[in-house]
Amino acid sequence: MEAVLFYIFAIGVVVAGAQVVLRRNPIYGAVSLVACFFFLAGIYVLLSAHLIAILQVMVYAGAVMVLFVFVIMLLNLKEEELGEMHVTTMKGIGLAAVLVLVGFIAWKALTPVQFARDMAVNEQIHGFGGVKAVGNVLYRSSVLPFEVTSLLLLVAVVSAVVIAKGKI
Amino acid sequence: MGNLPSLRYFWPESILTVAVMAMFVQDLVVRRREHRVQSLTIGALFWLTLTALATYLYPSGTTPLFGGLIVHDPLRVFFAWIFLAAALLTILIVPKSKQVSDARVGEFFGLLFALMLGLYLMASATDLLMVYLAIEMVSLVSYVLTGFRRADRKANEAALKYVIYGGVASGVMLYGISILYGLFGTTRVVGDGGIGAQLADVSSRLFMAHAFGGQPAAQLALVVAVVFVLAGIGYKIASVPFHMWCPDVYEGAPTPFTAFLSVGPKAAGFAVAIRFFFAIFEKNVPGVGWVAVSDVPWPAIIGIISAITMTLGNFTALVQTNLKRLFAYSSIAHAGYLLMGLAAASAAGVQSILVYLMIYVLMNVGAFLVVISVSRATGGEHIADLNGLGTRAPIAALTLSIFLFSLTGIPPFAGFTGKYLIFAALVQKGGMWNVILAVIGVLNSAVSLFYYAKLIKAMYFEESRDDTPMPVPGLYTGILVSLGAMVMVLGIYWAPLLRWASAAFGGTTAT
Amino acid sequence: MNSVGLPHFLIVGAALFALGMVTVVTRRNAVGILMGVELILNAANVNFIAFNHYVDAPGRLTGQVFSIFVIVLAAAEAAVGLAIVLAIFQTFRTIDVQETDLLRE
Repeated sequence: MEAVLFYIFAIGVVVAGAQVVLRRNPIYGAVSLVACFFFLAGIYVLLSAHLIAILQVMVYAGAVMVLFVFVIMLLNLKEEELGEMHVTTMKGIGLAAVLVLVGFIAWKALTPVQFARDMAVNEQIHGFGGVKAVGNVLYRSSVLPFEVTSLLLLVAVVSAVVIAKGKI
Repeated sequence: MGNLPSLRYFWPESILTVAVMAMFVQDLVVRRREHRVQSLTIGALFWLTLTALATYLYPSGTTPLFGGLIVHDPLRVFFAWIFLAAALLTILIVPKSKQVSDARVGEFFGLLFALMLGLYLMASATDLLMVYLAIEMVSLVSYVLTGFRRADRKANEAALKYVIYGGVASGVMLYGISILYGLFGTTRVVGDGGIGAQLADVSSRLFMAHAFGGQPAAQLALVVAVVFVLAGIGYKIASVPFHMWCPDVYEGAPTPFTAFLSVGPKAAGFAVAIRFFFAIFEKNVPGVGWVAVSDVPWPAIIGIISAITMTLGNFTALVQTNLKRLFAYSSIAHAGYLLMGLAAASAAGVQSILVYLMIYVLMNVGAFLVVISVSRATGGEHIADLNGLGTRAPIAALTLSIFLFSLTGIPPFAGFTGKYLIFAALVQKGGMWNVILAVIGVLNSAVSLFYYAKLIKAMYFEESRDDTPMPVPGLYTGILVSLGAMVMVLGIYWAPLLRWASAAFGGTTAT
Repeated sequence: MNSVGLPHFLIVGAALFALGMVTVVTRRNAVGILMGVELILNAANVNFIAFNHYVDAPGRLTGQVFSIFVIVLAAAEAAVGLAIVLAIFQTFRTIDVQETDLLRE
């Protein structure tokens, strides 16, 4: 059952992610990115990261991508002109490097990873990956990064206004 | 140390957090008042003084804070003073520079304090989570301050390029961090059970994997992960091949911020590099010194990157006509010189980096200050705009000459001290390759003399159409003279600075 | 979960990373490039959560907490990045990164 779900989600992630590259129209790209994030949330659930899965849908698919779609609509972006995939040398080198890299990483991942446990013991732990467990870590041992992030969000809000708005 | 006791060591950061919000609020309150800029500058100086005071009152010693997320040690304090010096100069320069409009000075200072907080955290982070968070904080604010003159097309373009390069670099770094987490089961770098401790320990998991025959894959994954993380750090210090953003961003950003960008985040990048390097690549053997941990010759790789970085920076700088671009390539070259200190992989190497960074703040901000003085009077930022500066503004011309000779590394100026210490550390480490690297560094310094001398020639030997004296604000003259004096003094009498640097890197040795 | 293990999830992460890199390299549209960066960040998140499940000590949540911070930072970065894109559009009337190219020697 889990295997079936995994393959559905994984294929969904990769196919939707590929649409981001292949679709010339940015709005299609953004919508397929939303789909990609939904499938990713499914994968997180399989990995018993329930809170992250919900955050992924709410923050990423919900908030961040709405921002993207909003900007695309605001700028009224047209399709990028076709035939613009002319591969310059730099892009060619970059692309080759990426493909080699991914090939390597996939090969590395296929090699049996010695550290991994055979069976995920975390599934037996009650509440693993839930709000309570994650919150406990977040507000105890990770309270410093948590607070720093809150300031960072404030700064990001002010920055976005400073940059995007003219006369205040 | 737990969360609450750690706050005792966290005063400067707490004050900076308050300062960010206080500057935003003050900006709103004094919106329509006379002397708006003056009151905001005084406010910023007040908060900076308070931060400096808290930094001065730091307890001594080495202790991990917040459960090991960051560490308090002398190295962190040393870097804090570098950031404070850069921030003080920037705050003093901004109001009269005509680069930041009066209506937006408050926002500039508020964001600058947020940037300072990020730098403080970068200099003390011992956990990859904090490293990533601090780098993101610094980057995010840097994008905004780069595009601060939003009516200017160049500023917008620079900000866009910065955001794209920065986003990709931090994304790649994050992917590297995720692999490191998979290999070691922790994101802690320094400290008990951290990545450094596991690598130095023959009974750790990575070595256990060796017994099971999984070593090659794990080793290769480790190399890839480390390269990815180094990409993020290399982008912060602007070393090859992650330097492409540097000239464009330096040109497009408001010049006072360019000055800050060339010293603050670069120094913080080196702080992260030093901690990362001496936790993962080397271990301290009592009586022997630093010994390499892995089979991969990391110091040699960093040496090669350093040689390419400084050569490329210096040779590209030769053909530049825009002063800010020229100093951008010069700053890339300096990243190369500084990396030589890391390639030496010794305590002396790190001390030379620290000394050089402190001197670099003085001379580079000084040089940018002259560029600002010239551009606010003539409106141009090209070498030709320096023509006749020797007669139009003798003090600015004289101090710029001092800074340029110092950047080249000619005795008796301070830059010579820094370079001498770096070369000495390399030669002291021994080995043919280190000596060759030092020779490449010396040759590069000779090359850099050509383009620095071009500026001096323009100032003293080129005729200017306009012979009237150039107005330089009294404050700028004062800063220039004091920076010039410090550069002269540190070129002759550097012992206290070196002593301070030695004390700073005594502590990091213990992981 | 008999047949699906850590490597499968890592391959999903690697594929996302590759797609993100390719997007960044081939796109000329600034919004498209920012979407590529989002893909890269998500690739790292998949790795974090997979490693958290299979590698980290039982009951520990380092990777999951890390991924929360990544999500938050990605939101902040998207906000600032898109604000800069808006500013670019106001001055250049385009967001094609090859046409916004004044900074040349």
